[in-house]
Amino acid sequence: MIPPRALRRWVLLLVALLGSLSLGLWGLARERLEPVSVLMPAPFADATADLVNAFNRSHPRIALIVTRGPLETEAVSDLAISSLLLGESPYDLLLMDVSWTPKYAAAGWLEPLDRWLGPKALDDLAPGAELGNAFGGQLWRFPLLADMGLLFWRTDLMEAPPRTPAELVAISRRLQRQGQVPWGYVWQGKQYEGLSCVVLELLRGFGGHWLVNNDPVLNSPAAVAATSWLQELVRQGITPAAVANMGEPEALQLFQAGDAAFMRNWPYAWAELNKPDSPLRGKVAFTTMVSEPGEPHAATQGSWGFSLLAGSKHKAAAVEVLRFLTSAEAQKQLNLRWGYTPTRLSVFEDPELLAANPALADLQLALAAAVLRPLSPVYAQLSDLLYRNVNTAITGERSAPMAMQQLQLNSERLLRSSGGEG
Amino acid sequence: MRWRLWLLMAPALALLLAVFAVPLLHYLWLSTQAQSVLTGLLPEPIGAQQWLRLWNDSRFWQDTWQTLRFSAASVSLEMLLGLAIALLLDQPLRGRGVLRTISLLPWALPTTVMALGWRWIFNDPYGPINRLVAGLGLPAIPFLSNPAITWMAAVGADTWKTTPFVALLLLAGLQAIPADLYEAAALEGATPWQSLRRITLPLLTPYLLIALLFRLAQALGVFDLIQVLTGGGPAGSTESLALYAYLNAMRFLDFGYSATLLLGSFAILLVLCGAAALLWRGNSRLQGALR
Amino acid sequence: MARLLLLLWSLGPMLWQLVSSLRTSDALSGLASGGWTLEHYRQLLQGDPPFLTYLLNSAVVGVCSTALTLALAVPCAYALTRIGRRQARSLTLLVAAAAAFPAVLLFLALLELARDWHLANQLLALSLPYAGLCLPLAILLLQAAFADIPIELEEAALIEGMGLWQRLRWVLLPLLAPAMASSALLVFLFSWNEYPIALTWLSRTELLTLAPAMARIAGSSVYTIPYGAFAAATVLGSAPLIALMLLFQRQIISGLTQGAIKG
Repeated sequence: MIPPRALRRWVLLLVALLGSLSLGLWGLARERLEPVSVLMPAPFADATADLVNAFNRSHPRIALIVTRGPLETEAVSDLAISSLLLGESPYDLLLMDVSWTPKYAAAGWLEPLDRWLGPKALDDLAPGAELGNAFGGQLWRFPLLADMGLLFWRTDLMEAPPRTPAELVAISRRLQRQGQVPWGYVWQGKQYEGLSCVVLELLRGFGGHWLVNNDPVLNSPAAVAATSWLQELVRQGITPAAVANMGEPEALQLFQAGDAAFMRNWPYAWAELNKPDSPLRGKVAFTTMVSEPGEPHAATQGSWGFSLLAGSKHKAAAVEVLRFLTSAEAQKQLNLRWGYTPTRLSVFEDPELLAANPALADLQLALAAAVLRPLSPVYAQLSDLLYRNVNTAITGERSAPMAMQQLQLNSERLLRSSGGEG
Repeated sequence: MRWRLWLLMAPALALLLAVFAVPLLHYLWLSTQAQSVLTGLLPEPIGAQQWLRLWNDSRFWQDTWQTLRFSAASVSLEMLLGLAIALLLDQPLRGRGVLRTISLLPWALPTTVMALGWRWIFNDPYGPINRLVAGLGLPAIPFLSNPAITWMAAVGADTWKTTPFVALLLLAGLQAIPADLYEAAALEGATPWQSLRRITLPLLTPYLLIALLFRLAQALGVFDLIQVLTGGGPAGSTESLALYAYLNAMRFLDFGYSATLLLGSFAILLVLCGAAALLWRGNSRLQGALR
Repeated sequence: MARLLLLLWSLGPMLWQLVSSLRTSDALSGLASGGWTLEHYRQLLQGDPPFLTYLLNSAVVGVCSTALTLALAVPCAYALTRIGRRQARSLTLLVAAAAAFPAVLLFLALLELARDWHLANQLLALSLPYAGLCLPLAILLLQAAFADIPIELEEAALIEGMGLWQRLRWVLLPLLAPAMASSALLVFLFSWNEYPIALTWLSRTELLTLAPAMARIAGSSVYTIPYGAFAAATVLGSAPLIALMLLFQRQIISGLTQGAIKG
């Protein structure tokens, strides 16, 4: 038998639980009308909040609802994929990273956009921004904003940014020796997509490639040199060993605290570093990644764009949303208010914007230098191999040539077994 | 009468079959199919190829080794610490009840919650341990960025969380040992160490084995902790079998291979726990013979 | 001394979370010394969706799973104690094996079940796999409790002409209350903490339970890593459990230990 005191506890517990249960049911019962649901990573959901309100005001029959996803690209992808695998996805539009498109298209989750947007849809896109939206002859995605890897540098510590790997090392060493900064250069070295972006820029900068005609060339002298350089940065203490577990936020945290002279990151960091309370406000500039003389200063293209889900029940309304959010006017607002890089040529050339945001011209140049990660339905595996193997070099587990040899073998095997569909 | 008993059991047994047996059978079928992004997510029969791929997949073997290493280290640490804590809590101390409750708290918290907490504790350079280390003028400890250290950090976090469970089981075992056995031993002049070895440990064996079996099975399926704490890195050095299977399904969209990996992990689990169980039976037979 | 060490070991990491959750972000990244704030809590509680939603979801799933598990486990455990030794032993062995089975290995098949039976994104449906996963432990616990009840008691009730249902309801269940309480608490704890299945069954943010919500918070920061918000989330996420533990520690502990002795 339960003693009365214990009984009272149980009753209290029960009352509390029933109360919360009914609250929850009340929340579920609220109705929504004519919904178009969009999944976006958190920062973009914040940035588009005003635009979404404007859309809902001007379109009384469509209720646009934005779901704030996680920030990390892979976490958003996991969320989107689990909703798609479960069937009856609650979303109509997805804000997708450029590297997902072929996989999602091959899985049959996306609706081709050619029919909805017409053949001239891409005409207004700036050079670099048109890449990675079509796959297998069809348009699957329309870019909202461009993203590309940038090299941030401290204007208070040096006159001009380094343009070659050797210069970057020399400047870092000098500043570290003078005690100006504890570290020289921070970047994304964790085993995740961000590392693949870092490596792609250096591959090009050292004169190498990821794939040539669908064959991996990752044990080329250039590729080995690029990885060796990253390994050396850690070994010489220019980059902290913690880089092997660093993503974008960790790198930004260290750089913003004034603990490093250089950082590789995306344009969002520019806005963040220039916030009123930022200790580095006005002390930072950006350029493209360093490269060996004669090789291109590459910027990995990481644009975000909308895709229409094949399972959507509100396709026409969703296309309406897509047009509105990617319009020149919307891109202009996103740039003025949040500093996001547009994808439309007409926005890049807007005199009002150029006056308000002088960095825009530099961003357009960086975008023109954009390089694309391989377009393949098995890209996730290819990239997984790349970042795992390069990470073994960064942590010092393996020498750079050995890591790249292993990477080459594994990539070859992967592409062979996937029937050359790379 | 008898059919009514079966009727009473039927709903529970049906749910158990649906949750345990159906998935395993489904995996058996799925492991003979190619179902991936390359087949448009539709199944295509390919015989034993997935199993061949598993056999030749160095990453599968690496993850097997890493999962075994993690399990062996954390389970043995947990058994040792758990035994120590159980012995401590078995003493007639003041505030024993409170202490027992507090020491059980880590076990009750969600793994993902505390994994996130550990990520912050292990942060390099801003976490508390590394700030302490920096205060002493030493270089930061790369808890989450060095393959040789990160797996131990994961073992540490796992040990922190599951030791209380082991301790509690063992405490129950300790309390079931009749006190007069110890008194008799004390009369014969046995040292505390001798009575621990001669009385406590033999009588505790069944409890030790239950705890071992249960913890071993759970540790071999480690997933939550690794996914949140390290994501399998650095350099893939903490990736567990379950995480590899998860990546194959949810990120690479390769369901056939994911099912094969899950069955592979299950086979390893079966072999290890089977061995432990046999050990147990051998042990109890030995004890029976001695009696 | 040993007691102090044990306290420090058990509570240290949790206290560090508590302290972190009350410090400003700048203080956390070592920029400024000092600075205390409730900002992280405000941020969490006013988030979209507010953090309490996750707690509520977890509570709903927990209660449903617990109720379902007990409803299925009690008759099953009763039947197991009455069905005869040989069958009972082999069934119990299977159940014990299932109790130790790591649930994560089932995620892929359960995901397909969720899709085929349209169970995804429904909190109540989530209690089906949870009940399935918790049944083994509950059955073992209750079976041990049933075995402790003298058979004469039931025979007396039989002579008085009580049917099976009446015997269960009026004679056996009251005696079973402590074992049911401890199994209920263990099941609740399990569903509160379960991760891989919730991760694959729920994709709507407003339906997430605590464990996957925590893991996703890890990647949902805007710009810099909000360790303060992480810490506040761990504090809020653990508080209900700590309260539960403190209130019902006796039942939980006896449940765990009973399971070990009899199972």
